[in-house]
Amino acid sequence: MKVLQNVFSEISGKHGLGAASFVAVAVLFWVICLITLPQVAMLDYSFRFNLPAAEVGGPQDVYTLENYAYFFQGNDGTVNTLDIGILVKTLIAAVFVTFIDILLCYPIAFILAHSATGVAARMMVIGLIVPFWVNEILRAFAFRVLFGSTGLINGIGMSMGLWDQPVDFIRADVALYSGLTYAYILLMVFPIFNAVEALDRNQIEAARDMGASWWRVHWRVVLPVAKPGIASGATMVFMLTAGALAAPQILGGPSNLWFTQLIYQWFNESANWQRGSAYAVILLIVCISFVMMLMRVFKVSIGEIGR
Amino acid sequence: MATKDIVLDHVSIRFGAYTAVDNAHLVIKGGEFFSFLGPSGCGKTTLLRCISGFSDPSEGRVLIGGQDMRGIGPNKRPTALIFQNLALFPLMSVADNIAFPLEVRGIGRKERRKRADELLDMIALPGVGDKKVHELSGGQRQRVAIARALAVEPDILLLDEPLSALDLKLRHHMRTELRAIQQRVGLTFIYITHDQGEALTMSDRVAVMNAGVIEQVDPPETIYNRPKTSFVASFVGETNAIEGKVAQQTEALVSVETPFGRLQGRAAGGRQYKAGEDCILFIRPEQLSLEGGTPNTLTANWVKEEFEGNSRQLFLEANGVQLRLTRVNLGGTPDNLSGGTVSLGFTPEQAIVLPHGALAGA
Amino acid sequence: MNRGTGGGVVATGFSLLFFTFLFGPLIIMVITAFNSSSFPRITPWECFTTEWFGVLFANDRLMSGLANSLVIAVSVVVIAVPIGLAGALALSELGPRLRAALYTVLITPILIPGVVLGISTIIFWGAFGRSVGADYGSIFYSGMFLTLAGQVTFISAYAMLVFLARLQRFDPILTEAALDLGATPGQAFRKILLPFLGPAIGSAAFLTFLASFENYNTTVFTILSGNTFTTALASKVRHGTDPSLSALAVIIIGITLIGAVVHEAHMRRKEVMRTGTTARSRIYGNPVLRTLVHPLTIFVILLGIAGFATYQGTQHDAGVCKQQILDEKRARQQELLEEQRRKMEAQKQNQAPASTAPAEEPVKANPSPFGGAFKSNGLKPGE
Repeated sequence: MKVLQNVFSEISGKHGLGAASFVAVAVLFWVICLITLPQVAMLDYSFRFNLPAAEVGGPQDVYTLENYAYFFQGNDGTVNTLDIGILVKTLIAAVFVTFIDILLCYPIAFILAHSATGVAARMMVIGLIVPFWVNEILRAFAFRVLFGSTGLINGIGMSMGLWDQPVDFIRADVALYSGLTYAYILLMVFPIFNAVEALDRNQIEAARDMGASWWRVHWRVVLPVAKPGIASGATMVFMLTAGALAAPQILGGPSNLWFTQLIYQWFNESANWQRGSAYAVILLIVCISFVMMLMRVFKVSIGEIGR
Repeated sequence: MATKDIVLDHVSIRFGAYTAVDNAHLVIKGGEFFSFLGPSGCGKTTLLRCISGFSDPSEGRVLIGGQDMRGIGPNKRPTALIFQNLALFPLMSVADNIAFPLEVRGIGRKERRKRADELLDMIALPGVGDKKVHELSGGQRQRVAIARALAVEPDILLLDEPLSALDLKLRHHMRTELRAIQQRVGLTFIYITHDQGEALTMSDRVAVMNAGVIEQVDPPETIYNRPKTSFVASFVGETNAIEGKVAQQTEALVSVETPFGRLQGRAAGGRQYKAGEDCILFIRPEQLSLEGGTPNTLTANWVKEEFEGNSRQLFLEANGVQLRLTRVNLGGTPDNLSGGTVSLGFTPEQAIVLPHGALAGA
Repeated sequence: MNRGTGGGVVATGFSLLFFTFLFGPLIIMVITAFNSSSFPRITPWECFTTEWFGVLFANDRLMSGLANSLVIAVSVVVIAVPIGLAGALALSELGPRLRAALYTVLITPILIPGVVLGISTIIFWGAFGRSVGADYGSIFYSGMFLTLAGQVTFISAYAMLVFLARLQRFDPILTEAALDLGATPGQAFRKILLPFLGPAIGSAAFLTFLASFENYNTTVFTILSGNTFTTALASKVRHGTDPSLSALAVIIIGITLIGAVVHEAHMRRKEVMRTGTTARSRIYGNPVLRTLVHPLTIFVILLGIAGFATYQGTQHDAGVCKQQILDEKRARQQELLEEQRRKMEAQKQNQAPASTAPAEEPVKANPSPFGGAFKSNGLKPGE
């Protein structure tokens, strides 16, 4: 409390009482009413039974672990392989998509920062941003157009005689992974670009001058500088991919569910918000622990995200 | 015109356990051009921020015109500060920059513009009012910053190394300019610098600071010719420092036992030394001559020579002591001393003997 | 290109591939908007048509969703930009340890999956509404309010990142200078810091508007039974597609491109003005060319082109072509049948003549690629 008071008087001394009051009210409202309390409410909800409206708050309304138990054991007490499998598959797929994005974006970020100049660089930046002003749903739709059984890829493939029956890219999740890879590219390019741009070009040239091959230059000189950017981008891409809903709904195969679709089903189809909350909590905890673990492994801090 | 004196009454400024300014005690008279000179980190900028109101002293008082300034913010003090990087507002035109102090006092647009144009005339930059700050040259920005500070109508103008970002030639020009502006407006200027050339050429008086302590407050000539501490002697101007022990003192002359034998110099400020006391004898390079003089004669080995245009620097060495000698270039043929032994001399009146203490850059 | 750092041919090639990946799907989608085939595709090309734009605007659900989206997006801008600014200001005044802690808290809404944010928002405000005794008609159960709350939670963080980046380049000495020149802290804030943040306020507003307009994951929960443009769009895509969505993409991409070109013209102009090389530049030195490259001129020209294209589009009638395609198909079908009949006749001359009315048969019997597509199981993969 004392600390907050000091901060308040510091801001009001520098920017005036009005500005300080505005900052205090806005930040407190944001942190408490928008960020913290809703998560607490959801956590609380996930430990309750799915009761009819009349019984809410009544003697039946007690805490339970049932919603979590269901995730692990299903209804019959055996291991709920279906739901656990979907969670694991979602995580693995998200890691895969993140990895592909790193491979795609690192070279582009480097070229943008150190090879492209003037007009070329500006056009590249515009070219990177413009596709992301197009609605996410439409971007997913574009991939459906591309990968559909009468889509362009099947059309070209069959007319060239590469295959004679339409390949079901949708069922094979190729469309989904491509769409997800596409969806968050921007969030990978710019953190890496910001990190790599800070690198003095002379260092690269010095390393070349000392006889290092270009891949060694990248491995020893560029990559260490790019690491915080990669970590930041990877964190965002992973979290957004694991939490994606639109792309799996549009591009996912009929038998392959994403974990978020499971949550969606509990809410909108089974009207069991409590269990949906429990699944949401599970997703949140698993994703955050996974990211924290990776951050520890790669020795980066969360303060570097979003730079 | 303004005649408010500034009194630093036993001012100390501490940050935690660190003392940035230690017991500064002096009076700056109204209308004076006063400089604080010292190496970076000596506490001079901290002291300036304390005078301008960005901080209050941990101990002691700052009085302006007899009034204690404690608790009075920078916007309420009769001071205006010129920042090291000038801090001109980049989004405003030159005229808006200069008129900013009037704007925040609620003075009307027309009146502001008139006053801004007057000030632009005064700094000899008429007609640039509508330009953006980045369209001006370094020297012009300098003058705009001064005009903006003057628009506050302060009693005291505080300048924090304002010339450090300029190139050498412009810096020399702005020295004259600043002094001329100060004479014209008759305000008190308090000038912070680590450049002794600036301090010596512009100031009425100079305070030399080291490690938070004000070592000497005097007019420039006194600072240069009669330093009171070994730090001042070594920081202001080039000098040769020869360490030794006092042998004996006869009135103002002290004999010092040095690696070169016994040398004589003046006792600083009429000080009485005890025999055997550690001391340093200072002799400026331009006061060393190549003719051996009595009783101060010493021999040294030639090390190298540097030609500087108007002068020639001779670097010599003997008994582990480095010496430097300046020969003014009068157009004659250079002395050919290469590799040889040189004998040097100076008169006792030119050398000064100070108690052993800290040296600048040591 | 920089040799020796993997530059040159490899870099150019990779960049080309990368941007093909980025733009290819969009370009293909744009082209499908003008094909009369009722499934969005390029091959086979049937007729150039603009009818899908008409189909798009006739979709009531999408249009009412658009109205909701605009209301929500504007409200989000109005709320999230100030909150983001407050967050950035608070962070810039904190000591390193407190700063790291608050930064972590404020950045998490970006990392939390959107569905989780949506769920927690409806649960919290529902519980809040219950605890204050509000009924189900009240604001706490309104899709618009909940969407606003849910979106502001994380979109404020985007705004904050924009402001933080700008604040990093602010020299706090300027505020001190203003104070020293007699300004009160409030005046220094309004006259020095806020104008400096001006451009960032613009880009934050743009970013938050876009983020709100596009958002699906959170909104699909918080909008409850209502619709925004994006949720309506998503449910349309999920329940079968037609090229009217491509038509929508054409419009959005068109607007985007106009925006990008005008913005670029604005940036170049600013750059030239700032460096003061106006007189030396060939374009900016010439008054006619200079007016021509003014962002406003460019905007008007592009708008004119778009307007003309729209007008031409409404005048275009694909009916003749479509009839032609239909006729062609029928003719081809007839040809095939005739051929078959000739073969049969050649083989079995003694048999009775076959029916002569195959051309009257409906299109669904057509063996052309047009008909075959509808039998494939890939048409509605999302179901």
